[in-house]
Amino acid sequence: MQPFTYVRADSLDAALSEASQPGAAIMAGGTTMVDLMRGNLAAPSRLVDIGHLPGLSEIDTTGPVLRFGALARMADVAEDATLLRDYPALSESLRLAASQQLRNAATLGGNILQRTRCQYFRDGISNCNKRVPGSGCSALDGENREMGLLGTSDQCVATYPGDWGAALAAFDTSVELRSVGGSRTVPFAQFHLPYGDDPAHESVVQPGEIVTAITVQAMPAGRKSTYVKVRDRQSYAYAVVSATVALEMDGDTVTSARVSLGGVASKPWRAPEAEAVLTGRTLTEAVALEAGAAAFAAARPLHHNAFKIELGRRAVARAALLASKRT
Amino acid sequence: MDGSIGVPVVRRDGAAKTSGTALYAADFPHADTAYAALTTSTVTRGRIIRIDTTEAEAVPGVQMVLTHHSLNETLGEETFVMKGGHMQSSFMPLTSDEVHYAGQIVALVVADTQEAAEEASRKVSVDYAAQHASASIEDADRVEEPMDDKSIDVGDAEAAFDRAPVKVDATYLTPAQHHNPIELYGATAVWQDGKLLVNAPSQWVVGNQAGLAAIFGLPMDDIRVESPYLGGGFGAKATILPHTVLVAMAARRLGRPVKLVVPRETGFTVSSFRPATRSRVRLAAEQDGTIVAVMHDEAAQSAVIDHVAFPATGVTARMYASPNIRMRESTIATDVNTPGFQRAPAEAPGFFGFESAVDELAVALGMDPIELRIKNEPVCDPVKGLPWSSRSLVPCFRRGAELFGWNRRTPEVGSMTTPDGMLLGWGCASATYPSAMCPSSARVKLSADGTCVVSCAAHDLGTGAYTVLGQVAADVLGVPDELVRVHLGDSTLPSGPVAGGSVTTGSAGSAVHMAALAVRERLLKAAAGGGDPASFTLAGGHVIGPDSHGRPVAEVLASVTGGMIEETADWKPGSMSGDQMRMGLAGGMAFAGPTTETHASYSFGAQFAEVRVDPLLRTVRVSRMVGVFACGRIINPRTARSNLMGGMIWGASFALLEETKVDRPRARFANTDLAGYHFSTNADIGEVVVETVDEVDTVVNAIGAKAVGEIGIVGMPAAIANAIYHATGVRVRKTPILVEDLLG
Ligand SMILES: Cc1cc2nc3c(=O)[nH]c(=O)nc-3n(C[C@H](O)[C@H](O)[C@H](O)COP(=O)(O)OP(=O)(O)OC[C@H]3O[C@@H](n4cnc5c(N)ncnc54)[C@H](O)[C@@H]3O)c2cc1C
Repeated sequence: MQPFTYVRADSLDAALSEASQPGAAIMAGGTTMVDLMRGNLAAPSRLVDIGHLPGLSEIDTTGPVLRFGALARMADVAEDATLLRDYPALSESLRLAASQQLRNAATLGGNILQRTRCQYFRDGISNCNKRVPGSGCSALDGENREMGLLGTSDQCVATYPGDWGAALAAFDTSVELRSVGGSRTVPFAQFHLPYGDDPAHESVVQPGEIVTAITVQAMPAGRKSTYVKVRDRQSYAYAVVSATVALEMDGDTVTSARVSLGGVASKPWRAPEAEAVLTGRTLTEAVALEAGAAAFAAARPLHHNAFKIELGRRAVARAALLASKRT
Repeated sequence: MDGSIGVPVVRRDGAAKTSGTALYAADFPHADTAYAALTTSTVTRGRIIRIDTTEAEAVPGVQMVLTHHSLNETLGEETFVMKGGHMQSSFMPLTSDEVHYAGQIVALVVADTQEAAEEASRKVSVDYAAQHASASIEDADRVEEPMDDKSIDVGDAEAAFDRAPVKVDATYLTPAQHHNPIELYGATAVWQDGKLLVNAPSQWVVGNQAGLAAIFGLPMDDIRVESPYLGGGFGAKATILPHTVLVAMAARRLGRPVKLVVPRETGFTVSSFRPATRSRVRLAAEQDGTIVAVMHDEAAQSAVIDHVAFPATGVTARMYASPNIRMRESTIATDVNTPGFQRAPAEAPGFFGFESAVDELAVALGMDPIELRIKNEPVCDPVKGLPWSSRSLVPCFRRGAELFGWNRRTPEVGSMTTPDGMLLGWGCASATYPSAMCPSSARVKLSADGTCVVSCAAHDLGTGAYTVLGQVAADVLGVPDELVRVHLGDSTLPSGPVAGGSVTTGSAGSAVHMAALAVRERLLKAAAGGGDPASFTLAGGHVIGPDSHGRPVAEVLASVTGGMIEETADWKPGSMSGDQMRMGLAGGMAFAGPTTETHASYSFGAQFAEVRVDPLLRTVRVSRMVGVFACGRIINPRTARSNLMGGMIWGASFALLEETKVDRPRARFANTDLAGYHFSTNADIGEVVVETVDEVDTVVNAIGAKAVGEIGIVGMPAAIANAIYHATGVRVRKTPILVEDLLG
């Protein structure tokens, strides 16, 4: 990697001012950042380590607004008893991510900003519009089983890989950002950018900005929620497809539904089409499968990943059926 | 503690490894070491038309950049391992402007620090004239080249197949796979007084020593290859990898030790891999299950730069009695780095197809798959008619069935489920592995302080060789385990065999046995004084005379000049010539068996798998595996079990996960890291039960030990595929079997 200056900030203000320097980048847990730097996919001249900043790792899962400090560790949040009871989908999305060692180090803020695992992006040599804008996309005619089919474009078919972000998309989530210039709050649905013609930019975060917290509006459907992650092995693998479903029910009837998808889309993907199918219906396997199919109605399959339409349909169905049984 | 043969002695190297004191090749400290990094080709085939190292050389701390312009040195005669040499490939990078495969080394950078070397390696700028390339055997422009000398014909299989009432004709695919040992590839080279020391992870220190001697035009004694521990090798670390030579050249030019550790991604192309295969299997039987024709046509991936093949059909031909056998082999050359040995190189891919086909035949016959196998158990080798040195496949199946609970299996597809609604599938398969032997030397030294030191340039890849080879000596000399010391993995020790082909225990063990017997003889002679040594025996650390009076061994040794007895023995397989033995001991590839003039020697096993398939999502979990093996005499049940279990776990990965994907348009490997190249985690593996059956083999070698190291993987992929069929009715004829293969 190219030589760089390492700065360990000891207050948020110091970090913000360091981060505003040209060529600066933020590192929290470092589990993504170090990989990106080793692969020459990020080459900051100044690395601002915020991993140990005080005050940014608190979480509050009881209030009308759930609040997660950006530096809270995945492992700690996954074990929060209130979250596990009231928002099992969120706990599960963390528990099923990465490995225990990574979860011990990785932060929630870093998690939503992790970059795609697309091998053509990571290999440093293939054509990749994300890495070298205008160079093309080798994934289009290459090995594209791991690629996305929702929200993709002819410029890029890479997926947003994270589990936590995938689950957050089902809820009313916002991200709080700070910079030397002030602060702002961005709804999660707008936090990640659609690919369109400019896949190089994945989020609204500007140079010098630091994510300070993630907030989620409390929602009764949280209790009847689940995160279903289909992966090639039982641990330590990204989702082939994941489905988050949160339901409010009156008896067997769904009165309100939230559905989101992971592993198949350019960004954490809310599926309102599936929600519409579920809402007002008696939940049966057939209805659940219908909702799953609706979630993928707009899918643009590639050579090796068309199966995800069927697998995704079933994952949504499984999640809906499981969620409905939660109390 | 008793450390003799058959005792489950705890691994001698365990504490050093778990406490971090074991030095692996890259851990050896050498003063003033410089660090190397590699630049590799971004195209698959073509020529380098320009290579500019200016920017790389400008990185502070950079000492040297080797390219095909600056290497400029004629190397001594040395060649590819399959052509009698020791190299992983015939092609030596940096000796020309040619590019033959993606990820080929095009420059080696040396700097004062690892970071500077890495940074500079990225700044080597290369322009290529690229040509069309194909890295997949499925590419339309690839042709099958038959290997006629591998054909086997017994009777008239085609005719018998045509006539038979029940038959199976199916084609099975296995992908390229990479070894991915957790210990990365690499080498450190140190020159002193014109002599070369190489610390590189090696499964064949003497072969590497011989090869490096040839390359550098030095006597073997001036080369030392030292690699006491390996963090996995699985076949990839047997030959000399080209970067080892480059590192040694850089170190000589620089006059400093040079160390290279190859990053994971680069490891996919600077070493070897398991080539992809396509097997067409045709089996035919009478209605009663008597097999009348066995045909297996295997086509395997090879490289344009090297013809290489690991024919499976010579092994599958040995499985079942059939009057008609027809086996064919061919290779398909692709633009890849040279493929090589990977645990059960022929057998693991070949048996996936073959043993799946046997299951398909059982289904077609409506017969229990174990019954089918037992019915067709051959009394002698079906190809040459030779007797087996030992064969206990049927006892393995009987015991395995009992352990697994096979009699509770209902054969109808989807007929078994778990209480939580998962589809349950039970499958089985046979396994075998040839018991070949290599010549080996060994030294055994018994000292007055009671210690017994065993030395041999054999290797412990985590397999247990340190433990097992000590037990062979302890058994002969009655030394307690805590007084046994074993030295391996160093070419200055008496010559040992390559850690390949599952030969170490049988071959190095026989040499240790021979040396220990020689020590024992001298000890008894010393005790007897002028008397008859034959009337003396050794027991419990005492030499016991004809008067039943025992003298401590230490006391006898104290009377010997030097206070110790040391013997070195050269052992060779019975069927091997003296010339072959000398060639082998000097670092050549010298194998005897598995079939000799008189016998066929193979280990056998029966493997069982239980899978649970989610009825909706169609994900598969291997909840149970049982393996029962017959491998001759088991020197150490603990290390044998671990070895066999490791093979079975790998077999589960083979079935469900492992695949090096090929990006066909760009003709290169796609998933070159451990996030993309999957193998089993702990969570993927349920219960694993391993047993061996008692077997006495007086033919195979001096200690009666047959192959253990590789057989564990062989039957597992088919057993799992067969179990998946039983659960779902879907016959997947390729690996890995992924969720999309079962969605329907
Ligand atoms: C082998 C492996 C397997 C994995 N498997 C999974 C998986 O199955 N599921 C899954 O969801 N994830 C997985 N991950 C990803 C992992 O969860 C992320 O790497 C991790 O969450 C990132 O958090 P971090 O704190 O380490 O971020 P860092 O690596 O420190 O940072 C990541 C990115 O976010 C930026 N950043 C971090 N914090 C802030 C902040 N507060 N404000 C502004 N920018 C910030 C950094 O600049 C950087 O660009 C895996 C990672 C690895 C290495």
